[in-house]
Amino acid sequence: MCQITKEAMFKAISTVIDPEVGFNLVEMGLIYDAEADEECNAKITMTLSTRGCPLHQMIKTWVQEAVEKLDGIGNVEVEVVWEPAWNISMAEENVKQALGGIPSN
Amino acid sequence: MFAISKDFAPPLKLIAPFFKIGVSFYLIAMMALLAFHGSFSYQEMAVAGWIHLFLLGFVMMIIFGAMAQLIPVVLEVGHAVVDLYYVILPLLGMGTIIMVMGFWLEPSLLSYGGVLVFISMIIFASEAFVTLKKTEIHTLTVKTIAVSNGYLLLGILTGFVIALGLSGVVTIDINSMLKAHIYAVLGGFVLLTVMGLSLTLIPMFSLAHGFDETPIKRGFILVAVGVGIVFIGSIISVTLLQWIGYITTLIGVGFYIYQIYSIYKLTVRKEMDIWAKSMLFGFSSLILSVILGIIYLLGATPPWLHASVWFFMLGFIGFLINGHLYKIVPFLVWFERFSPLVGKEKVPMLHEMYPKNQANMMFWYSSSGTVLGGIGLLIENDMLFKGGASFLIVGASFLYLSMSRMLRYGK
Repeated sequence: MCQITKEAMFKAISTVIDPEVGFNLVEMGLIYDAEADEECNAKITMTLSTRGCPLHQMIKTWVQEAVEKLDGIGNVEVEVVWEPAWNISMAEENVKQALGGIPSN
Repeated sequence: MFAISKDFAPPLKLIAPFFKIGVSFYLIAMMALLAFHGSFSYQEMAVAGWIHLFLLGFVMMIIFGAMAQLIPVVLEVGHAVVDLYYVILPLLGMGTIIMVMGFWLEPSLLSYGGVLVFISMIIFASEAFVTLKKTEIHTLTVKTIAVSNGYLLLGILTGFVIALGLSGVVTIDINSMLKAHIYAVLGGFVLLTVMGLSLTLIPMFSLAHGFDETPIKRGFILVAVGVGIVFIGSIISVTLLQWIGYITTLIGVGFYIYQIYSIYKLTVRKEMDIWAKSMLFGFSSLILSVILGIIYLLGATPPWLHASVWFFMLGFIGFLINGHLYKIVPFLVWFERFSPLVGKEKVPMLHEMYPKNQANMMFWYSSSGTVLGGIGLLIENDMLFKGGASFLIVGASFLYLSMSRMLRYGK
């Protein structure tokens, strides 16, 4: 039975910072899910704040490497999805505050 | 699902010279403004020389450098032959210098410079078309790149014919060809490229999501068609067609402005950094340019047209480009020098990589200079125009200094 929890994986990914906005991917709300099977093979489901992000491949690699640092982890697969599309309401309060709040429409 | 791997990204040593040389041409163009007066005709050779210095040396140079980086991002494929950009740079740089010398000093040089610029643009447009054929993405930005490159080819061809006409090689109606040339390059290539790229870049940097793209789609079609109508109307000298084209283009620009406003309303990042301030000034200038242009079309005197073109070129195009340089250049430097260090040591944030004081000085001097110079042109006041030019020179110097610092960061 694998002992690695979703929370542990989220904590590991929270070390990955988006260099444009300066927040980690978890507080940005970009990590949708993290699950590990019985052999501790992990699957991370995430998105990006923009589809044309030139750092797409790199961010995926950073997330994979961050989770691979966990003791006992097996293979790590990172999938980037576009549904549901990211929006600011998915971010934590401190991010919303720092960015200047939610849009005015 | 797609991936922009590091293999798709051109190296910094290929792109950085475009930005450094482009900014140098911008500084030279601002200095050259001191040689002009508040009152002139756009058909003067000296004025044509300055416009080519600004458009080829600064605008095209920066757009080409930015496209080298952005085409893989937008199209989600690598360049067909990215090394061609090593050839484009010297051809465009030398061609611009020789052409400007041709306009200012020795007209016989025009066709030589024209050939170099012609070859550089043919290479750029051909490479872009071949790369476009590789992509399966058909977003509005991709379509914009295709159409704008088509107009670039038309602009180059008409420019080349004008150069031959001025050198006495062929006999043409230069005035008609000049209108077609200006409209194909300014409206067809520059405006459409800026419209397409801004639809990708502005939501990316402002984190705006979920906006309706209908206005920009209408704007894009209207501008593309409007430019085509003016182009044909100018070549065959039919004034009515030209008028229909002007109005169609203006309505298209109106839709574009509305699209930007709708994106702005959904903007998540409210921070007024150098990029946000530059966008605000740039789009305000575009609105002012449209208003001045409409007044001119309704029968006002040529200074209204001069002021309209001034705010379009210096205010809108200039600020959109310069504002984005403070985002794009730190990213390129970060990607090259710091991305391999992520997870191994502390790396800087992108906003730490540009000199904020110099950027602010650039903004305030350049915006003041643009406003003063524009008023100077409108009321044909030489002192105001020269005052504006002086402010613009100081602003351009700060841009040059901050560009050098950004490119040296972490070296």
